[in-house]
This record gives sequence, structure tokens and C-alpha cells, in this order.
Amino acid sequence: MKLELQQGSRSRILMGLVLVVVIIYIGRLFYLQVIRHDYYTLQADVEQLKSRVIPAKRGLIYAMDGNTPVPLVMNQSVYTVFADPQIIKNDAAVAKVINEVAGGNTRSNFESLLAKKDTRYQILATKLTHMQAEKLKEKNLLGIGFHEETQRVYPEGTLASQALGFVNAEGNGNYGVEAALNERLSGIDGQLRTVTDVRDVPLTIGDQNIHIPAKDGDNIVLSIDRNVQSYAEDALKRGLDKAGATQGSVLVMNPNNGQVLAMANYPTYDPAKFSEVQDAALFNNAIISAPYEPASVIKTFTIATGIDRGVITPQSTYVNTDSIRVYDATIRNAYPGLTGTRTMQDVLDNSLNTGTVTVAQRLGDGTNINRQARDTMYDYFYNRFGLGHGTGIELANESAGLVISPEQQEGNAVRYSNMTFGQGLNVTMIQVAAGFSAVVSGGNYYQPTVVAGTLGEDGKTVNGKEPRIVRQSVSAATSETMRTMLHNARQSVNYMRDADKKGYTIGGKTGTAETLKNGAYVKSETVGTYLGYGGKDTPEYVIMVQVAAPNRNLEGGLHASPIFTDVSNWMIDYLSIPPKG
Amino acid sequence: MNQVRTPAFRRQGASGEAPSKAVPSARRHRPDMQILLYMGLLMMLGLVVMFAIGPQRANGLNAAMGEDYYSDTYFFVRQLISIGVALIGFAAMALIPFERIFALRRAALLAGIGACLLLAFAALIGWGIALNTGGAVRWFDFGAISLQPAEILKFGILIHLAVFLGIQARKGKIDDWQETLLPVGVIVAIAGLLVIVVQKDLGTGISVLSIVLAMLVAAGLSWRKFGVIMGAIGIGGVLLIATAPHRVDRVLTFLQGDQTSTSNASAYHIEQAKIAIGTGGLLGVGIGNSVQATGYLPEAINDSVFAIMGETFGFVGLVATIALFVALLMRLLKVMDHLADYRLKLVAAGVFGWFGVHVILNIGAMIGIVPLTGITLPLLSFGGTSMLFVAAALGLVFQLSRYTTHGSVIKEADYEGSSSRRRVRGPRYAGRRSA
Repeated sequence: MKLELQQGSRSRILMGLVLVVVIIYIGRLFYLQVIRHDYYTLQADVEQLKSRVIPAKRGLIYAMDGNTPVPLVMNQSVYTVFADPQIIKNDAAVAKVINEVAGGNTRSNFESLLAKKDTRYQILATKLTHMQAEKLKEKNLLGIGFHEETQRVYPEGTLASQALGFVNAEGNGNYGVEAALNERLSGIDGQLRTVTDVRDVPLTIGDQNIHIPAKDGDNIVLSIDRNVQSYAEDALKRGLDKAGATQGSVLVMNPNNGQVLAMANYPTYDPAKFSEVQDAALFNNAIISAPYEPASVIKTFTIATGIDRGVITPQSTYVNTDSIRVYDATIRNAYPGLTGTRTMQDVLDNSLNTGTVTVAQRLGDGTNINRQARDTMYDYFYNRFGLGHGTGIELANESAGLVISPEQQEGNAVRYSNMTFGQGLNVTMIQVAAGFSAVVSGGNYYQPTVVAGTLGEDGKTVNGKEPRIVRQSVSAATSETMRTMLHNARQSVNYMRDADKKGYTIGGKTGTAETLKNGAYVKSETVGTYLGYGGKDTPEYVIMVQVAAPNRNLEGGLHASPIFTDVSNWMIDYLSIPPKG
Repeated sequence: MNQVRTPAFRRQGASGEAPSKAVPSARRHRPDMQILLYMGLLMMLGLVVMFAIGPQRANGLNAAMGEDYYSDTYFFVRQLISIGVALIGFAAMALIPFERIFALRRAALLAGIGACLLLAFAALIGWGIALNTGGAVRWFDFGAISLQPAEILKFGILIHLAVFLGIQARKGKIDDWQETLLPVGVIVAIAGLLVIVVQKDLGTGISVLSIVLAMLVAAGLSWRKFGVIMGAIGIGGVLLIATAPHRVDRVLTFLQGDQTSTSNASAYHIEQAKIAIGTGGLLGVGIGNSVQATGYLPEAINDSVFAIMGETFGFVGLVATIALFVALLMRLLKVMDHLADYRLKLVAAGVFGWFGVHVILNIGAMIGIVPLTGITLPLLSFGGTSMLFVAAALGLVFQLSRYTTHGSVIKEADYEGSSSRRRVRGPRYAGRRSA
């Protein structure tokens, strides 16, 4: 460009000025755009590129309703309302609308939060329902945004709450199935990395965008039957009230596949309001996490061991003197007076401690609970019946309990003599009921489970899992013998026999456990347990009941058994089991 | 009016056109088409930018408003309309004989002052036509169109002072405090009061100052006087900055190097502008791929359009853009240099000052070399008023470019008494003034 400006003229000076500025500017641009390009690209990425998690939907939890899955735990969207105070001009008008739509959900000081004009993010209200959020969105308030969150809802209320557990604010399962199957329920979160605009709306610009869809969690179907569960909970409450007890549990299992049909505990809590629970102990499912000494119900296992080893038959006899000496200890019967020659059936019927100690002696050399006897008992109790270690049921916080091995010094003869009638060991109800199921239903120990499978694609069927036989606990013959003995034992008690539905094989064993206080057994507080089965010829269900209260003598027969009877009779109807002949 | 045949005319030869009454037709020749060319290219570039980032901007506004008010092409179409209006302004100023325009110089100045006063009054009584943006009232809002009265004032000052200073310079009184500099100072002070103090618009104030200073320099003001004036402006500037918190903020931001702080608005603005420019690299991210335009960079289509262009077109694109601006400025200087009539020369000088200061301060702020002043990038920024008045000013220079002499006339002007041309010009003014 030929400008022909006059040499030394003022236009020349102005032109020079412009050119100097332009050279500086172009130099600066070269610095910013070429030399510092990578730096600013990084700065831009930091600001523009956002990774966000696409949350996987947490799986729902279903119970069975007969053969149909019904939801026990569902998801519900709740909304958090937030504001950018810098954008909002008319605080009062916005506050008025929010109060109108979501008055109950607002934070108490949200109007003062709106006034914080130097901030750009303030949460105004939480846990709005979908309806409330939609209403608020319709108002088109400038500078107001929504976060969607999911929370668990419980269409059946408190039903099976301790088996279910809950989901905490961080979205993790606590207790129960929610915790044990947290991974399967959670699914796998997806990822979205994308360039966004200033309001975080994803843009299609750029080549660094990633999109991995979320894999939603499994919808789990529990083996728990809502009807059985509901009835068990009601029956438990009724029985406790009647017995004057304050806490108790009912466990109903199918002994032919290990599935838990109901696990009821009292007291319990409302999982929808888990955050309001004061005493965290309420979250515990006593059936799996509170090991105790179930006392005489364990005699079932002792006698089964003896029969399976061939050292006794139901008609084997011993001489009962109401006490028996084991080294430096003397074992007495709880209900003395039945002295003389007694059969093993008598031992079971009358819960004779001396009888089960005799069985243990016969497992050894006949007079001592020697190492061989103890090893045999330990093999049956610990290995075959699954006492004293976790069953692996799909519930969190399962306790192992304790069955002391003969290897240990504490595993001596006195200990094992006590163990024959259910003292000196700590076991959970699920351990006992699962072992008992094996004893009465042919000898096979099924893996105890609360999960029937996953929900099918159609939402109506269950992709069931096969029952798993863990081991053969006792022979089929022993099992049949035990069934008969337990049936006879129940028949021997008039009030039990009379209360049972006629035409069915129902059997069981009581247990009344003294509690340990300050290292000594006290008679002033006892825990009552009843453990039994029912069916036409073979067991269709196993029910274990436990009742307790501070400073109360609660007995297996008088207090636990009526609850068993109640549930048992109802189960026969519910399962439509035809009576014999 | 006396018609005077000048040596310049004799050199160029007579055109075939009929002599006009107001304009010495003998001096008319083809206008400087390059002015039109560069202006047109810059306008088209602006359109491309609006086309490229309009959708993002519309999306952003729609998301914020929660409505579908802005279509993807809203800003493109608006800019197209602005350009249409601006071209009409350009054509008017290019075609209406400049003497007629000059005759309205007092009216133009008074109209500018009146409009600013009306705006201040409207703001005071809360009249709806006064648009409040971010705590400052700078715009009339007439619904479909809005207007910035300071632009009228700027134009009025340009014409009025060009003629006034042209006459004074002709009389050799450009350095006279009493007869020249004081009246100019009063007008500038009034404008400064209306624009900087009342409208809190430092950018337009600087723009006015630049127009006047460029005219004074072109009119041959002695460097000593120029130094005194600059000193006074410097003191005034410090006072102005010190009395307005947002200006202190801008200057501090600038001085502190604006590293990564997003705590205050200016630091954020400059940082985002630099990110936009820096990400552009050598060749830019391409049309439609600007991310900074999606809301990160404030005023993306207005004051910050240069930064967005940097992101979109890269270093090469920005150098080309700057080259267009420089070419246009050089044409203005050439026209100024080759105009014999001081009034006309000073119009060109004023437009140079106006255009130049906008380009330099806007780009300088975007690349972090000068503080933010909230000044538009002429012909590229979105907005009708700025575009219209800049185009009108260029239109006037375009008309004046028909009256340039072949060679520079600065020499004669600077070296008094050595030119015969000076002698013949003298009576022309004398005659006109008496007419």
C-alpha cells in the first residue's frame, strides 16, 4: 500500500504510533496463541471439560407373593432446588413461589441464602417430590435449578425391614440385603466426559468426549414371602404380648431348598425413616447377628449325632439319676424327678440333660467325653450342622457365633457336656434352623438363602437360582428317625399336640436358656426357644421362635411354642398342604 | 461562496461534472474505494462471526430465560439489519454534500448534548425509555430499537470541532488558549461530564477524547501545548479512576496480572478472553466450534468478539483482521494527509482517532495489555448504534476522499508562508465566513 504520507508530517507520526501498537499486539498474540497455546488449551479443558458420573439405577428388591414377585423396595426421584443468587433479581418474588410450591421442604434460612449475591450456588429446598419439582419448573424462575436424586421407598412399610436394611445418604446399602448385595444392587455407574457450556450443558464440540452408559443394578427377588413374613411378624407380636416378652424373633424356612420364607424380629424400625432411629441396635437382624445359647433345642443335634454314629437308637436306655458327674462338674436336669431307666425318646420328650451327656459319653469310650467323642461332636456340630460359623446367607452383619473346638483347652469334656444341651456355645438362629432343616429333611444341608433370584425381563417372573446342597449332614435314615422322635416329643406335650392341626406331621424341640450375667448362669432371666417343623409326611417348613425379655423367665414350651403353633397352623393353610389319609 | 481554483485542481484536471453549488466541483474525483472495501470486509467478517456463534449465544440466553425467544440466526439477522442501516448511514454521509453537513454542526452537537440530557432526565424520573444495564444508564430503549445518545454526541463533536478547529488552524490560532483550546476544553468537559460521570461510560469518554486529540494533533497543535493537555488529561484520568470503584477494580486487575482469580468480574473477563484467544492456536478451532462463546466469556458477541474470533480463526485470522483494521486506518491517514482544507482534514483525523482508539483499546483489553474499558470493536461487535455511527463517520471521510490532492499538503501547512496555495486559500475562508 503506497500511502505517500509526507516525510516528518503528523500523519506519519500517527501512522508510526499505529504500527508500533500493532507490532506489539501481534507479538502478544503470537505469544498467547502459538507459544502459550498448550497452556491455554489446558486452562480451557479444566474449565470446559467436565466428567460426570451417569448414576446407575439401584436395583429394586422384591418379595414373593406366592409365586409372583412383588416390590418391597422401590426407587423414587426426589429433587433438590438450588439457586444462583447472582442471577436472581427479585428475591422476594422467588421466595414466595418456592414457599407456595415447596413450603415444607425449604431450608429454614433460604431467603437469606438468596441474598448472598457474592455466591453462585445455594441449596434452597430438598426432597421435593416429582410433582412439586414439575410445578416449580413450570414457573420458569430465572436462576433456579434442580438436582434429581433417588431415594428408597417401601410400599410394604416396615415389612422385613431388618432383612432389607436401608440405603444411606451416600447411596450405600447398610445392613441386610442392601448391604450384602450392595454391589449387585448398585450396578455400575456410567461416565460422561464432555465439553459443556457455562451452565454445564453438554456440547457436541470437541474430540475428547466419552460416553459410557450406566449398567443398572439387578432387581433382586427375595425368597421371603410377603404373606408369610407378614403373618410371622403379626404372630410374633401377638405371642410376645401374650407372654409379656419384649423381644423375639421368628424364622421360617423351607427345609427342602434352604430358602428363608420369613425372618421377623421385634422390635424393628421403619426403613423409610432410618435416619430417625435412635438406637442403632434396631438395625440388627437378631436372627443372623445375635448369637445366643439356645439351650435344649441343641439336644436335637446331639441325639442326631448319636443316632448317625450308631451309638444310640431312640429306644436305647440309660439310668437317669438326675445328675451326672463329668470330671469336676456335676450336670443336673432342669426338671428333676424322672429317675430310673429312660429311653432316648424320653430324653428328647423331657429334655433330660443327663441323657444327652450320656450320648456324648457313648460317642467316646462310654463313660468319658474323651477326645474322640469331642472330635465327633465338633465334626457334627461345626462342620455338618454348620453351627459356630457364618452360613453365608445374603445378609450383612452375620455373626459367626462360637463353637469351641476340642483343639483348644477350653474345648474340654465339661464344655462338651454342656454343649450337648445347648450351653457353652454361641449360635445364631439361622445356623440352628439351617442345621435343623438338614436333620429333618433327609440329611441334606442346603445353603440357607434369602434370595430366590433376579427379576425377569417381564417384571413378573423370577430368574431363579438352583438350591445348593452344601453337604450331607446325616444319613437319610437318621433324618427319618429324628423326624419321628421330634414328632413324638411334640406329641408328648398335651397343649402342643392339641393345638396342632390334625393330619399333619409336626415335631419340634423346646429350649429354655439361662442367661449369663457377670459370668454366671442365672435362673431369673431365661430365653425361650422353640424349633420345629411341619408337613404332611415330610417337612414343608421349619420354624424357629425365640422370645426374651429382661428379668423374665420365658420358656420354650410355654412362651415360644404357641407362636410356633400359630405360624405352623397358618402355614399349612397357606401352603395348602393336604392332610394325611 | 467564492469558488476558488486551487493548484491541486489544476494538477488533477477538471472533471466533467457540473459544478455544485456547495462544493468546489473542480476538485472532485473518484473517492477512495479502499475505504469502502475494508469496511465491507470487516462487516462481512462480523457477519461470519455472528453466524458462527449466534446459535451458542441463542442457546445460552434461551436456557437462562427458559424460553425459545432467540432463534439460531437471531444475532446474524440482527447484525445483517445493523449493517443495512449502517450502509444507509454511510451512503447518506457519502452523498450529502459535506458543506450541508457542516452547516448542521451546531445542531448535531446540541442534539448530542440534548439526547444525553434527556437520557439522564429519563433515568432520574424513572421513565421507561431509559434502559438500565448493570447500574448504568447509557441507552434509550424504544422497544424494537435502542439507541446510545453518546454516539450522537460523539458525531456532533466530530463535525463541530473539525470545522471549528479547521477555521482556527487556518487562522493560525490553533495554539491560542483563549480562542481555541478553552472553547474546545469546555465542549470536551461537557461531553465528559455527560458520558463519563453521568453515564459512567469511560469507554465513550476516551473515544471522545481521542477524536479531539487526533484533530488537535492533525491541526498542528504545538507539542508543548499537547504535552500540557495530556498532563491535564492524565490528572483528570487518575481522579476519574479513583472516584469509581469499578474502574479501580479494572485497573487493579490489570496491574495484578489477572492470573487465575475469578473472584472479580474484570479478572474473570480478561482471563476468559485470554483462554479464548490462547485456545485458538495458529489456525483456530473453526467456525461453530467456539466453546468460550457458550457463556464462559462475557459479552462474547459485543465487546469480546475479538477474543471469540481468536478462538475461532486463530493467530492467522486475527493477524488478518488486524491487517484490515490497519489498512482502513492507513486510508484514513492518507485521506487526512492529502486534504488541503483543514476542516476536511480534521474530520478525517477525528474519524481516525475515533476508529483507532476503539480498535486499540478493545483488542488491547482482550489480550491483557490495556485495562478493560468496555469499548466496542468497530464494525465487528454486535450492536446497531455503534455500527451506524462508525459507518456514517467513514461515509463522511469517503466523501471527503474525493477532494484529496495528489500530493501531501501537510508540508505546506506546516511550513507557513512558503506555499502559494496557502495564500489562495486564505480569502476563501474569509469570504465564506462573511457570507
